[in-house]
Amino acid sequence: MTIEKNLNGTELTVAIVGRLDTATAPDMEEVLKESFEGITKLILDFEGLEYLSSAGLRVILQAQKIMNKQGEMIIKNVNKTINEIFEVTGFVDILTIE
Amino acid sequence: MIKINHLRKEYANITPLKDVNVHIHKGDVISIIGPSGTGKSTLIRCINMLETPTSGSIFVGNECITDKKCNINKIRQKMGMVFQSFNLFNHMNIIENIMAAPMDLLGKSKQDAYDEGMELLRTVGLADKAFNYPDELSGGQKQRVAIARALAMEPEIILLDEPTSALDPTMVGEVQAVIKDLAKKGLTLMIVTHEMHFAREIANRVFYMDEGGVYEDGTPEEIFDNPKREKTIRFIKHLKVFENLITSKDFDFIGFNTSLEEFGRRNQVPQKTIYRAQSVFEELGVQCILPKLDKEFRLNVAFEYSQEEETLSMSMKYDGEHFDVRETPNIISFAIAENASKSIEYAEIQEDGFTNLVTVKIK
Repeated sequence: MTIEKNLNGTELTVAIVGRLDTATAPDMEEVLKESFEGITKLILDFEGLEYLSSAGLRVILQAQKIMNKQGEMIIKNVNKTINEIFEVTGFVDILTIE
Repeated sequence: MIKINHLRKEYANITPLKDVNVHIHKGDVISIIGPSGTGKSTLIRCINMLETPTSGSIFVGNECITDKKCNINKIRQKMGMVFQSFNLFNHMNIIENIMAAPMDLLGKSKQDAYDEGMELLRTVGLADKAFNYPDELSGGQKQRVAIARALAMEPEIILLDEPTSALDPTMVGEVQAVIKDLAKKGLTLMIVTHEMHFAREIANRVFYMDEGGVYEDGTPEEIFDNPKREKTIRFIKHLKVFENLITSKDFDFIGFNTSLEEFGRRNQVPQKTIYRAQSVFEELGVQCILPKLDKEFRLNVAFEYSQEEETLSMSMKYDGEHFDVRETPNIISFAIAENASKSIEYAEIQEDGFTNLVTVKIK
């Protein structure tokens, strides 16, 4: 998995390429943890995300909780397979998916 | 007719036969099938003592042929052997090849050996080749001669070691037809073969060999339509298997997924199916089952892919207390796994120390 960050004022875009699973979710958690300060809009760009597991979902949920307090979080470029996971787990109701 | 007890054959680096115990009855036509290297040929070569068993005994009738005092040449006269590579004498013509042994070993007159040899050549459809030399015959014809030569010794049993595997595909049928005729005549036959259709059609018994012995013994219907044991099922259904035993919670998760992907790619499993398999393993195995297991545990994960049916299934066997993964409190993981599966089943088992079995058909 590779993570690319792009900061534009208080808007942070995080693009994830590859797999977000048991092995890589802790890295994603670490990257997000050190980036929240002063951010009012967090965009997760999943265009390159191939695989998502519950371990990744937990990190996304954590980020959503933090951003609920300091602004908003948007997930964009979600492919069909990843969207299916958001649907079956009920995450579509919690997240803002564009 | 033949009783094999605790037969073992060891070579320097390998033990193809660990413990073979079977009875072969008069008139049995036995197809011996199984993966390469499982001792099929070694077994029939031990039966006529072309290989000396390391231990165990083989009785032919009342004679123990593994006994050093046994006159093996006398016993071999009752057993014909047909090899993959024909083993005809190239300096003799066809009828001479057939006449040699009955004259030398059975003391038949030249005329009798000739008359009977010609009759046998007629049986295998090669009377017109009697005065040709082996080099002038096709592979299929040579093998038919080899069968006629074995029959000339009036054997009670014929052992055939992959009789068609060296043949051009166009010649397989003619040799199989001759062998089928022998089976109809009531001769006792043991045939090592990789041709499943033939193995099924000709035999009244099938030995599936694996793990150093006759792993499963049954009628063709039992072995081909309703195999009972795991490895027989995998072999019969052409299942490609990826298996991994996990014994630590810090196991190499990335390595596991990489190996699973390579297995999938090697066997033309669609990428989407591989992702689903990885998802089911991660959600059920890693997220639901692993946290429930004791400090010392065994979790055996096996994926089986049927190229014929294009289906992938996964089984997870684990020890410890009974835990039905379908009752996991981790509903998110279970929802993801369920979405990637056609079915998720659970059973309590007692097998090699495993107490739980989860089987999943991947979507």
